[in-house]
Amino acid sequence: MSVFEHDYRPYDGRLTPLGTRPLVLTRYAMAEAWASKITIGLFIFALLPCVVALVMIYLANNPLARALVMRGGPSLSIDAGFFLHALETQCWFGLVLTSWIAPRLVSFDLGDNALPILLSHPISRFGYLLGKSVALALSLSYVTWIPCLVLFVYQCYSSPQPWTLSHLSLAVGIFGGSWVWIVLLSMVGLAVSAWVKWRVIATGAIFAMVFVPAGVGGIASAILRTKWGLLLNLPVVMSEIWQRMLGAPAVMPERLQLPSFAMAVVLAAACLLCVAVLNVRIRAREVVRG
Amino acid sequence: MGVIELDRLEVRLGGRTVLAGLTGELRGHAIGLLGPNGAGKSTLINTLLGFHEPASGVARVLGLDARVDRMRIRQSVGYMPENDSFIGNMNGVRFVRYMAELAGLPPAEALERAHEALFYVGLGEVRYRKISTYSLGMKQLIKLAQGLAHGPKLLILDEPTNGLDPTARQRMIQLIKDIRKQGATHLLISSHLLRDIDETCDEVLILNKGRIAAISNIEEERRSHRNFIELEMAGSTEGFTKKMQSLGCECASFAGGRVKVVMPDAMSARDLYVTAGEFGVQIRRIQLRRDSLEDIFLRAMEYEGSRVDHVRV
Repeated sequence: MSVFEHDYRPYDGRLTPLGTRPLVLTRYAMAEAWASKITIGLFIFALLPCVVALVMIYLANNPLARALVMRGGPSLSIDAGFFLHALETQCWFGLVLTSWIAPRLVSFDLGDNALPILLSHPISRFGYLLGKSVALALSLSYVTWIPCLVLFVYQCYSSPQPWTLSHLSLAVGIFGGSWVWIVLLSMVGLAVSAWVKWRVIATGAIFAMVFVPAGVGGIASAILRTKWGLLLNLPVVMSEIWQRMLGAPAVMPERLQLPSFAMAVVLAAACLLCVAVLNVRIRAREVVRG
Repeated sequence: MGVIELDRLEVRLGGRTVLAGLTGELRGHAIGLLGPNGAGKSTLINTLLGFHEPASGVARVLGLDARVDRMRIRQSVGYMPENDSFIGNMNGVRFVRYMAELAGLPPAEALERAHEALFYVGLGEVRYRKISTYSLGMKQLIKLAQGLAHGPKLLILDEPTNGLDPTARQRMIQLIKDIRKQGATHLLISSHLLRDIDETCDEVLILNKGRIAAISNIEEERRSHRNFIELEMAGSTEGFTKKMQSLGCECASFAGGRVKVVMPDAMSARDLYVTAGEFGVQIRRIQLRRDSLEDIFLRAMEYEGSRVDHVRV
């Protein structure tokens, strides 16, 4: 019988487990995010540096090709510094991708007031955010740790020396450093998108959340002649974290280096702030005080 | 087991008591939630869905505690909110499928049920259009479709005819009646429009200022008044009323030849004409009168000012 001839009938079939419902949100969020040609364009653009890095690894491990292409230029060293540079590049592409994708995941729901209907289904607010976060984290993984680990694996394969075992900590650093950034970006992206319903403004606000505190921190450091203002400078904080996780040589002068504990506290505080924002904004019903 | 059970339910929002000590049990198949604006209808629905935490007391839906079993309640309930609530850049079928999957249907079944639900509510032809392009009536219908798609045991409709033109309203009312007739789904319909509740519900909970003004079984009320007849007669009505009383009727005569009669079940309107013929009086107008929901509502509102607990009208 055709569907249009069906009368209303109750459903008595199989149900999916309650714990898998956030994955429904993830699936639809991924489809929503990647339906845009701009997302695809950004993704391809984000992979271009990896192609360059792959070529560099190839040249570094192939003396004949190096001699032909570089004609006696500076030697290429594939080490922690190389992977730090690759990770930093990819992670900043991650910020660009977040600023585009995160508002698409949340702002549509908030803009059309879809939360009452979404949350009237057997899914909690935590489940809702988990589903969206997983979608964003997966999308960011495509441009951060996955391509960086592909570079690592290619270097392991290409290297003539027993390189892998001595540099295994690099892989751990790439993976861990990427996830610190992914978690932070997911929280900031979702919180800003939940706070600002308009997508274009949310995109700008995500960049602002990263760079405006950096400027404020810089001003504070200059006026007070202290290094602690750098704690508000997310690019500096993240560079320090990645450098330490990969065991790369320090970039900052020693007097400006920040304690790991302080940086961890700043990141945790940023995440808690985002959780507070999400707790206020992601509700089926707003309660008017007074 | 009642569909909805309330036991001294109190809900406080933003420092105000919005629902104050509601106690009652609703067992009807289609339950109307009636009350003036700000009476607490939507708050009660939100509490039943677990959106608001009760300050004290208990609310049960289908025997499940709204405070602790909210996921199981949401599994069994379909909800059509009062205001616009959808994802505008999705097409109709994708949106309904999405909601059905969230309710636990596997993707293939969810897709099939989404198509069925959309055809059922009359959106079959526009199901591939983006929801943002729908008219207001269509948006109401797609909210109903998503509430139905997963086959809930209880369907909660918050102001379902809000903003609809007469044709769309009639269509919505007809759909609600159809769902009620199918018998598989209980209905909880919130409205401030008496006519909507009167046409669709068999039990009504009347709220006023966060309190229960009345719980009334509309069907019983109707049955108890089904033989209440108002007559307009020409000629002397004295003999007629005496004869009717001797036949077991309750009669009252008024000026202008008006007579009110409550007949026993065994009698019919034909007996009135036979008796009138016997006494040579004319029946010029006959009106079968029943207690309308409006009477019940107004009576409840009058009682509400002077009572402590809820009354059963």
